[in-house]
Order: sequence, then C-alpha cells, then structure tokens
Amino acid sequence: MALAAEISKNLKSLIQEFEKALDQASSLQEAEEARVDFLGRKGRLAVIMSQLPLLSPEDKPLIGRLANEVKDSLNQILNDKIRNIQHKAQEERLAVFDPSMPGRTPDTGTVHPVTRVINDICAIFVRLGFDIVTGPEVETDFYNFEALNLPPGHPARDMQDTLYISESIVLRTHTSPLQVRTMLKRQPPVAAIAPGKVYRRDSDLTHTPMFHQIEGFLVDTQVSMADLRGTLTAFAHEIFDPGVKVRFRPSFFPFTEPSAEVDISCVMCKGGGVSSDGGPCRVCKETGWVEILGCGMIDPAVFQKVGYDPEKYTGFAFGLGVERVSMLKYGIGDLRMFFENDLRFLSQFV
Amino acid sequence: MLLSLSWLKEFTPYKGSVQELAHRLTMVGLEVEEIKRPFAHLSSIVVGHVLESKAHPDADKLSLCRVDIGSGEALPIICGAPNVAAGQKVAVAQVGTELPGGLIIKEARIRGQASQGMICSETELELGTDSSGIMVLNQDFAIGASLTQALELEEYVLDIGVTPNRPDCLSVAGLARETAALFDLPLAMPSLKLEEDQSVSCPEQVKIVIDDPAGCPLYQARLISGCKVAPSPANIRYRLMAVGIRPINNIVDITNYILMELGQPLHSFDRDLLKGSMIRVARARNGMTFKTLDDQTRNLDENDLLIWDELNPVALAGVMGGADTEIHQQSRNVLLECAVFDPLTIRKTARRLGLNSESSFRFERGVDQAGSRFALDRAAELMGSFSGGRVAAGLSLAEPRPYRTRILNFRPQKANALLALNVDEEYCRKNLTLLGCRVKKAEHGFEVEPPSYRPDLEREVDLFEEIGRIYGLDRIPEHLPRVKKALGQKPLDNRFAFTSKIKQWAAGLGLNEVINYSFVGMADLDLLEIDRENRVKVFNPLSEEQDVLRTDLLPGMLQTLRHNLGHGNTRLRVFEVANSFFSDSTSETGVKETDRLAIMLYGLRHREQWPLLDQELDFSDIKGLVENLVTIYAGNRARFKDLGKHAYLSPAVLCVYDNLNIGILGRVRPEMSRAYKARKEVWFADINLDRLETIHDSRQISFEPLPRFPVVKRDMTVTAPLNLKYDQLVDVVYESGLSILEDMTLVDVYFPQEGQEKKMTVRLTFRHPEKTLKDKEVDKVHQNLADSILKKLPVKFS
Repeated sequence: MALAAEISKNLKSLIQEFEKALDQASSLQEAEEARVDFLGRKGRLAVIMSQLPLLSPEDKPLIGRLANEVKDSLNQILNDKIRNIQHKAQEERLAVFDPSMPGRTPDTGTVHPVTRVINDICAIFVRLGFDIVTGPEVETDFYNFEALNLPPGHPARDMQDTLYISESIVLRTHTSPLQVRTMLKRQPPVAAIAPGKVYRRDSDLTHTPMFHQIEGFLVDTQVSMADLRGTLTAFAHEIFDPGVKVRFRPSFFPFTEPSAEVDISCVMCKGGGVSSDGGPCRVCKETGWVEILGCGMIDPAVFQKVGYDPEKYTGFAFGLGVERVSMLKYGIGDLRMFFENDLRFLSQFV
Repeated sequence: MLLSLSWLKEFTPYKGSVQELAHRLTMVGLEVEEIKRPFAHLSSIVVGHVLESKAHPDADKLSLCRVDIGSGEALPIICGAPNVAAGQKVAVAQVGTELPGGLIIKEARIRGQASQGMICSETELELGTDSSGIMVLNQDFAIGASLTQALELEEYVLDIGVTPNRPDCLSVAGLARETAALFDLPLAMPSLKLEEDQSVSCPEQVKIVIDDPAGCPLYQARLISGCKVAPSPANIRYRLMAVGIRPINNIVDITNYILMELGQPLHSFDRDLLKGSMIRVARARNGMTFKTLDDQTRNLDENDLLIWDELNPVALAGVMGGADTEIHQQSRNVLLECAVFDPLTIRKTARRLGLNSESSFRFERGVDQAGSRFALDRAAELMGSFSGGRVAAGLSLAEPRPYRTRILNFRPQKANALLALNVDEEYCRKNLTLLGCRVKKAEHGFEVEPPSYRPDLEREVDLFEEIGRIYGLDRIPEHLPRVKKALGQKPLDNRFAFTSKIKQWAAGLGLNEVINYSFVGMADLDLLEIDRENRVKVFNPLSEEQDVLRTDLLPGMLQTLRHNLGHGNTRLRVFEVANSFFSDSTSETGVKETDRLAIMLYGLRHREQWPLLDQELDFSDIKGLVENLVTIYAGNRARFKDLGKHAYLSPAVLCVYDNLNIGILGRVRPEMSRAYKARKEVWFADINLDRLETIHDSRQISFEPLPRFPVVKRDMTVTAPLNLKYDQLVDVVYESGLSILEDMTLVDVYFPQEGQEKKMTVRLTFRHPEKTLKDKEVDKVHQNLADSILKKLPVKFS
C-alpha cells in the first residue's frame, strides 16, 4: 500500500519538477536535456515506471493509468515549451529583420519617350477603330509629293526641306505617303494611323534632321469638318488633359482643303502667357497657345490619284509631331535630348 | 511678311488694337508670329534744343553745348560734329542710354570739360547712313519729346507667316483687303495722279520683244527722265526700315516700296546704259555668264530667263538685275520694268543660283497680272515726284498671254456638307463678294469668278475653304465619327504590333530604349570596317557626319555609348529598334529597309548595390538575352555558331534558327570601341526582326500531355581540353539517340588552376514514357553514354 502511495506521489511531483526544469531552459538544446532527464529511456519517469511490476494487481491498473496521464502531461508541457522557445526565437529574428535593405531587383528598363507617346496615341485611335500602318522611310517622289498634290516645282515643297537620295527618291518628309499607300490598298471606308520616322534638311535648336510623326486619316461617305474637329478635340483632351482648350486655325497644306493647324491652350502657363515664376511663358511665347498638329479635309486631288470618287467620298487627315507632343506632355525643354540618349534622360520615362 | 500697321491704315481705316488685328488675321489663316516694335530701341532718345554752342578751349574739333531737354537745367554736352549750332533741335541720348550699336552713354570729362549725354547722328541711331554730322530735327518738335514720337516711329509691325498659296497677302494691299473683309471696313487703294510728259513717248524710245511667252506672259515698262538720284524722303526710308528693307536711293527705294505695298516686283535700269532701243525677253544660252548687281558672275544655262537690251543681257528675269545697267548716283533716265514671269522658271533659277530675293519669292508664288499696270503707274508717279523726273507718255508693252479669268461652279449645299455648316446662299454670296469674287446665280448655286490676285482659287473646294475660313473653322460644330469596320477585315499591317512587343520585351528585361539618327557618316561605317557595297548615300546631306543611311545599328549605338561615358553614365544596357538601309535595285525605291533590333551592354553586370555581385560582363550576358528573345518569339531554342572573322565583332557568333540566320552577336573589337572612349568590353547583338517576325507569325503552339512517370537525374563530369566546345559534347550526347534521355543541362564549369583543361558537369534527365525507370536501367544507359563520349571526344571522366 505504501508503495502505491509513494509511486503515486512521485509521479504527481514529476509534473511540477518538470515544469521547474523547463523554466530554466531557454534553448531547444536545454529543453531537450530536460526531456531526456524526465522522459528519456532512462529518465525519471522511466525509473518510476520500472517500479510498476512490484505493485499489487489491484493497484497496478490505477497507477498505470496515472503514469500514462502524467506522461501525457509532461509531453504536453514539453511541446508547449518547445513552441514557446521557437516562437521567441522567431520574435528575436523579426526584431532585427530589416525590410529596408535593398531587394535583388532586376534593372528597370524603359521605352523611349517617343515610343511612349506613339503608343499612347495609337492606343486612342485603335480604340476608335483605326488600323495602324507602317511604310518605307525612303520614298519615291510620287508618294511623298506628287500623289499628295505637290507637283514638281510647287512652292509648298519649300515648306519641307528635303533630304534626297536621288532626283526621284527622298527620305520621306512626312508620314503622309501612308495615306496614299493605304488608300491604294483599300477601298473606303478606311481609317488608319501611321506612326514613323520622318526627315528634313534642317538642324538647329528647335529642329532635328530626323523626328517622328503620326499621320491619321478617315475616308467614308459624309465625313465632314465636324468629324475632324470632334476627333481631334477628343484626342487632345485624352492625351493632355480634359481641361485643355483646342482651337482650329486655317492654314495651308496641298493635300487638304480646307486645311487647319490645331493649337491647344499652353500646358505650361495654362493659357495665361505667364510662367510660374511670373516671367513670360517660354513654351507658348506668351500667346497662351501652342501648335500641336496640322489637319484638314483630304483634297479631292489626292482622291483622284488613288482612284476614289471625290464626289462620293470625303475624308479628313491629320499629322502631328511626336517629339512636340512629348515635350509638351512631359515638360521637356530641349528637342536635342531625344537623340542624345543620355541615360539620365531615358531612365525618367519609367 | 512684315506688315506695318500705319501703312495698312492708309488702305483701310482699322481702329482696333494691334492685338485684336493679330488675333483675327491668325484665325483666318494669316498667322501672326510676332508683333514687333522696330524702333523700340530708340524710345529713350529725346528731342533737345541746343541753347549754346562754343568751341572747346582745349580741342579744335569739339564744341561745348548746352542742351535743353525739357528737364529743368540744360545739359552740358560735348559734340564733335561740324554742323552743331545753337538753336538747332537735335536728338539727345542721355546718360545711361544704350545706343543701337551697344554703346552706353556715360557721364564724361573730355579735356577738362564735363559732358552729360550725346547729340546723335543718323548713323548712331541707325536711322540712316549720314555720318557727316548730327541729325538736325524739325524746329516744330517739342523739347523733351521722345524722338520716336516726334518722327512718328511708334510703329507696330506684324510678322505674318503667309502660306505659299496666298501670294496676294505678300503685300500691304492684300492684307488690307483681308482686314477690310474681316472687319467690314472700306478699302481704299491709293489714287493715281500720274502726269505724263507728252513730249517723250516711251513706246517710241523702247520696244519690247518677248521671245518666250511661256516664261514671260507680260512685260511692260515706263521711262522716267531727268531724275536726280538722292536719298528718299525720311518717311519712305523709315517705313522701309520698319519692314526690314535697307533704304538706298529714291529710285531703288520706290521699287521696294511698291513691292511691299502692292506685291509687284519692279526693276529699274539706267536707260543710258541700255544699248539700243529694244528690250528682249529670252532664255540664256548654255555656258553663258552674267554679272548680277551684287558683282557676282553667274554661270547660266538654257533654263534661265534673261532680259536683254539690243546687245547684252541686262537682268536675270525676276531674280536680280545686272551690274552693268544698275542705277548709280549719276543716273538720270530710268527705265522701270514691271513684268510677270513664269513661277517655275524663276524658282529653278533662284534655287540653282541660291539667289532668293523678295522678288523671286513673289514671282514663284504668282503675281497679279491684271493688277500690275496699277503698280507700274504708281511707282512711276512716286519716282517722278521724289526724284524730280518726268514720266514719259505711254508705256512699252508686250502681253503675249493676257490674264484669263476663271469661272467656278459653287454649290452651297456641298459647302455645308463638307464644313458641317448650315449657312444660306446669301451668306456665301456676300462673303465671296467681300473677298473680291464676282458671284452670279446659276442653276445649282453660283458661278464664281475669283479675282486676279487669288491664284489659289482654282476649284470649287477652294471656295469651300474660303467660306470655312471666313465663318471661322473654330466655330464649326464637333461630332465624333463612327468607323465602319467588318470583323472579317484583316489588319493592313502587323509590323507595329510586332515591334511594340519586342520593345516591351526588351524594357521588361531591364534595357533602355535609345533612338539614333538613321544617317551616319561614311567614316563611321568605314571605321567599323563595314562593307562598302550597297550603301545608300544621302544626295544633299547636312554634314559629312550624316551622309549615308546606316546599314548597321552599331555606329549609332557607339555614339550613344560615347555620349553617356562623357556624361558619367558608366553602365549601359540599351536597345534600339530601327531600320537598316541597303541599296537594292529590285525595290520600288531602290532601297531595301529591314527592321532590326540592336542590343548593347557595357560596364558591370549588375548595379553596384548589395546584394548584387560586382562582376564584369561576358558573352553569356548578351547570349542569354538573345536566347530568351528567340525562345519567346520563335518558340524554340536557337543554335549559335562561331563565325570566325567579322568586320567589327570578335568573337562573332551567328544566331541560327531553322537554318535561317536571325542575327549576330559578340564583342566589339576593342581597338574599334576604344575610338568611342570605351575602356571595357562592349557586347552587342543585332537581330533581323523581319525574319524573326516571319518565324513568329508561322509559329503554332501545340500542347504535349504531361509525363506520368518520374525522372531520374544523373550528373556527369568530363575533363576536356580548353578548346573543346560545349556543343561538341551536346551533339555526341544527342546523337547517341537515347530515347529515355529527356534533357541535358550544363550545371557547372571549372577551370583548374594553370591547367590546359576544363571540367564540365552536365545533369542528364532520364524518363521513360510508360514506366518508372529502375536505377539499374539508368546506370546501364549512363555507362553506355559515357563510353561513347570517350570514344568520340578527347575527354576523360574524373
């Protein structure tokens, strides 16, 4: 009887002692040592358990059950402790974790601001149902001039100083040849937009011998000047800002009639003519307006060249300078930067 | 075109502000680019009254003056002009004033005497060429008044960008007509008060013969005799100066005055220097020379039109007069020419000789033949009255091709449809009339006869434009069109979409897009030893650095590199998508354009930033990008072949896909890249996007079922001589035709120190499609493979 009582007492005290032993433990290693001490093959629980065979048959099941309960409790306490230690270790790691250290970041690539603007503009017109077309940069006199109602000797050829390859082959001076090339391929209705490089024999602060244009045109029955105005106004609002004012000024291009130049209210001074520092606005030269594109109703002479019936069809066309739009949109002051390819410039257009 | 506001007001009583006028002209297509104040720099010069002038005690040629400028005490001013005298009204620049030449007037002491200002000459004020003495002003001028006010120089000048279709607006009269129509003002042409001297008959003195009616539809001339060549009156001179023309004398100035006022170019000959009594208009002969009045000897050809006297050429028609018959100080008798020449002829000659003048500019665009007589008469009148000459009776005239009017049909409903307007017939009639057209009712609208000064009104649509212009394009309603498209319609062009993808790919991999010029210099291509065949030269390049279209994107890339290195950017990973140009006689333009992608890498592999490693680039970097590109856009792996010798790459490696050369990659030969300031290796790839796009378009993705059985992986390390290529090993392994070999990957390369060997470890992946492989089976296959490698390659296993 006394033996059963003693074993029972020893078993019960194991719990407290184990807790005490684990309290001292601060690492998984120390917890393991305590486990071996109490729960190991030769541990204190095993030692007590080895006495079980000495008990009476009546006591044996009772004490046996108690021993199992104590074993479960010890395991439970041990697991709690381990979890506790692990948790603490994680907490300690987290306490010194520094998320502000740099990541293993790949390089940041960019497309050129000209490409960005071309993409933005094309996206708008593609949404309206325009096709994007491309064409050769070296052009025949026919596509670049003659088919656009610019016969040899026409004074309007002076509006564009041309780079020639030979007498009848030029570096295209505008993207307008794509009007002709496209119309020769397809009957109306046709709507297309043509981005690309163009060339002029001109180089100074505000001109580079190569730059980019986007040509757009729509031909159908009953296309009117109102369609042109609606389209370009919507375009200007989208590419710049819905608050921007748009005005159409009569002008002259041999391949449109009537012809117009489109100005928007100056994006720098908001049309006031005064820059933020109080001085005269350099962007619009104090006029409050900046020119962004040329446009008009396609001249019947162009339709005749491509075999469209000018009595049946009308259409509009426009051409804009990409660098110009880009300068206004991003506030770039110097045109030459576009072709110097300085990384400090390029990397800003992320 | 420079338009003087005061001159305009002589034609039409415009009362509004100069800004309003500029705005309205701009909005009808006459863009005012600038509003100038041509004499603004003289605004601080004042009228002074010389109260006293006495000799300087210590200098012979200087006078001590006291000048009242209306500001209280008179100023002491020392003047060196011989004509200064008490009682004169003079132009005074006070202390602090900056003269046109840049001189700033300071308080001075000259030989002991104080001077507080300067009495100015015409030259010093840039108001004339008389530097013999000070400018003596009209006694009526108020003391202290500003000089510009006193001389009526408070002028506005509008700089107008006149489009090539509007020669009529290259004159004060033409712009006045537009102004009058815009503001509904009356228009008054100057009245003629020409008095002819009946004792002399011009047609008897000079006969006109036109050999080339196509080149010269009209030639007319008047004779003014007994002229005295002298400076023009001040108001004429100032007016010419205001519009940027240098006054010369009372004969030449009048021709310029009428040119600006009426748009008709004129030329004056010294009659006494013309041989005989005939003026002939005829082409030049090939190989002729002619001395123009700028004393340059010009080489002519049979396309140039000349004016001849009975013996010699005397003027290059419409372009410039001759040196031998020009007006000089002693000229007495003037033959005044007023003609119309063929625009194309004038344009060709002016271009070829580089002689662009105010005259040729107007002739090229077309002058008003019907209005030319008035210009001649007005010029003769003014010339006579300013030079004291007499205008001979009648005029010498030949007009083989008289001006013919045009009649255009005009349908108002067509105008309304095109312009999206709803204006009535009366509106159209009124405005076309205001613009100088004669309008007559016809069956479907009007018959319109445009005025002779509007050569641009040739077709009905030109009249539509006029209606839109006057109505105001800015007032036309806005409407958003619908684009009619059918789903079955294929896109016209896929090129833009493909290059866009390539650009996004490159930017996504951390490359920056650059754009270089399409032209480079021959020397740039030569430096890189690029083939001289098939280059496309620019006929009229801006410079030697831009005289050929690029056959290769590398020169531009190296320029980009040089620019960046010069600006402290020492690490570059850039790409460009652009055309290369080769001459090709089978192409419509004689040039074949190919879209290319160029990639250039320079500097460290990574940014200098923890945890990235500080490593130099090598071939694997550029090859990796190309492999990635080809895998993504062609669908499979490319093969790479050592090309051996190449113009500018060493090593140079060809990228091949399905037996098609897609591009080339390698390191730019260091002696070449050093010319662009590169100190490290430049890695470059050039991909033919036309070919890649073709492969891309034909590509079909087909799904393969996922394998059901596991893989077994085995590593194999071979020790090989340094010159053994990895591809040799790959080929032997794949040639062995093992059906269960799924993949082979190089996992490590090791170069033992000072060895002549390298160790390559490959990982072989085995898989059977229908069962799980056993170790023993794999062992056997692996061993066989090893044996066959040993047999075929000079390697060993270690």
